[in-house]
Amino acid sequence: MLKTILAGAALALALTSVADAQTLDKIKQRGSIVVGVKNDYKPWGFLDPSGKIVGMEIDLAQDVANRLNAKLELIPVVAANRMEFLQQGRIDLIIATLGDTAQRRTVIGMIEPNYYAGGTNVLAPKSAGLKDWKQLKDRKVCAIQGAYYNRRVTQLYGPELVSFTGIPEVLNALQQGNCIAFVFDNTLIDSTLSSGDPKWANYEMPLVTEDEQPWAIAVPLPELNGPYGEFMKKVSIDWHKTGKIVELEKKWGIKPSPFVAEMHQKHKAM
Amino acid sequence: MRPPAGTTDLPVLLSPTAVLRQHDAGMGDPCRLLGPRTALFLVVAFSMAVAGAEAATAPAAPGVIASLWKWAPLIFQGFLFNLLVSVLAMAIGTAAGAILGLMQISLLPPVRRGSWVATQFFRNAPWLVLLFYCMLLLPFEVRLFGLVIPLPAWIKSVIGLSLPVMANVSEIVRGGVQSIPVGQWESAEALAFTRRQTLWMIILPQCVKRMTPPWMNLYAILTMATPLISIVGVQDGMTLTRAALSAENRTELLVPMYLMLLSWFFIYCYPIARWTIRLEQRFAVKG
Repeated sequence: MLKTILAGAALALALTSVADAQTLDKIKQRGSIVVGVKNDYKPWGFLDPSGKIVGMEIDLAQDVANRLNAKLELIPVVAANRMEFLQQGRIDLIIATLGDTAQRRTVIGMIEPNYYAGGTNVLAPKSAGLKDWKQLKDRKVCAIQGAYYNRRVTQLYGPELVSFTGIPEVLNALQQGNCIAFVFDNTLIDSTLSSGDPKWANYEMPLVTEDEQPWAIAVPLPELNGPYGEFMKKVSIDWHKTGKIVELEKKWGIKPSPFVAEMHQKHKAM
Repeated sequence: MRPPAGTTDLPVLLSPTAVLRQHDAGMGDPCRLLGPRTALFLVVAFSMAVAGAEAATAPAAPGVIASLWKWAPLIFQGFLFNLLVSVLAMAIGTAAGAILGLMQISLLPPVRRGSWVATQFFRNAPWLVLLFYCMLLLPFEVRLFGLVIPLPAWIKSVIGLSLPVMANVSEIVRGGVQSIPVGQWESAEALAFTRRQTLWMIILPQCVKRMTPPWMNLYAILTMATPLISIVGVQDGMTLTRAALSAENRTELLVPMYLMLLSWFFIYCYPIARWTIRLEQRFAVKG
């Protein structure tokens, strides 16, 4: 009896590990592609009151689905679980403000060319009088949990990071004076400041934007150079060539990123 | 049947507990006394939060009530999902816990000891840690002989929450059985009932009454613990509230939005607590 159970368990385990079918086949068979996206990162991916996820990255995901002639299925992910989901096969693709770092490249397949790039800057009240990154040393600085730039900023400038899970929580803490600045993507700071909300009238983005970090869509690592990876690379090139991302930035009210403009120029010429 | 303690009007010498009970009854039922007052408190707190937020709202932005109203249906769906998770986890936990609890009073030492260890382990482990273990250790789909059974995150979280419920139910069952006077066992034996018959026909029916209040308490605690699943990435009411706040990106909504979710939990759990107290009073055993 015990032997049968053990054999069954071993068989089940073996089947699980062999089961990584080629993602393209899986998508065709299923008729849908499952994309991991953010649902708390306006305007890249956020909820509308009906519960639907919308945003710039969702438009990109829809474009991928259209090209594959498949239905689009969205799974909300957070920084802490998106790479695991991709490895486990729960999602086929990550389009979730994923920073392209060397360390992550050992785990998942980053598609080049990168589709977007964001730098690091801080949002701070004008009264704080920040001029230089070095001024952050030993001062309380708010941050989002799991953001890739937290570690770099901590190592270089030694602030005392106060981390929160969501953006509204951080902004609340900043306004209540729990920290002197908020380390964040420069594009999102731009959008916040230019929203015209009088609450932000006395705030600024005082530092020089640093560490332009490309963002990548990601496929499972073993398939990076297979048909699926190659297909996604072509899609990414096409986005830059046709100016799709420039267009979407306009649609979602994101300040044009120099990286995207440059990529558009470069690929248009090719 | 013995009349419920404290209701007799005969001029007898009452025990101190009965006197206290009568005194309480004179002061009014604690449930009834707390009901309107607590409800009033909730309403006042909610309106204060909304008023405060309204004052902080920029003139151009839509009002706080309007924003809450806009998101309420979506967040309410999430809240219903929390309830679904709580009901499922309770069902699984109760079924497993009842078995585990009966194993704890088994006459076979290995069974008794094994179930005791399992009960103590799951009863004294933090719920969130158990949840994390379930999320990480269970596969996202089980393949058995070509049959693919998907295990989405929310099912894993139901399993994760049912483990501590199981252990607590197990203790409730064990305690319930042990609270029945030994005379019941002895009388049953004298009447030639087997152990199984005694348990099923004499002991357990008496336990059910005693076990119901703590069981309901446990359910209320479980329901209030379900937002934990938002931490492991399940889209429940808490996650949706957070996502709604991100979409609005208005700090003045933080307090009212979370308070809205809190009130729903309160409105759901508070009657359970009141009902539990009432049952406890009704089933109260003297001494």
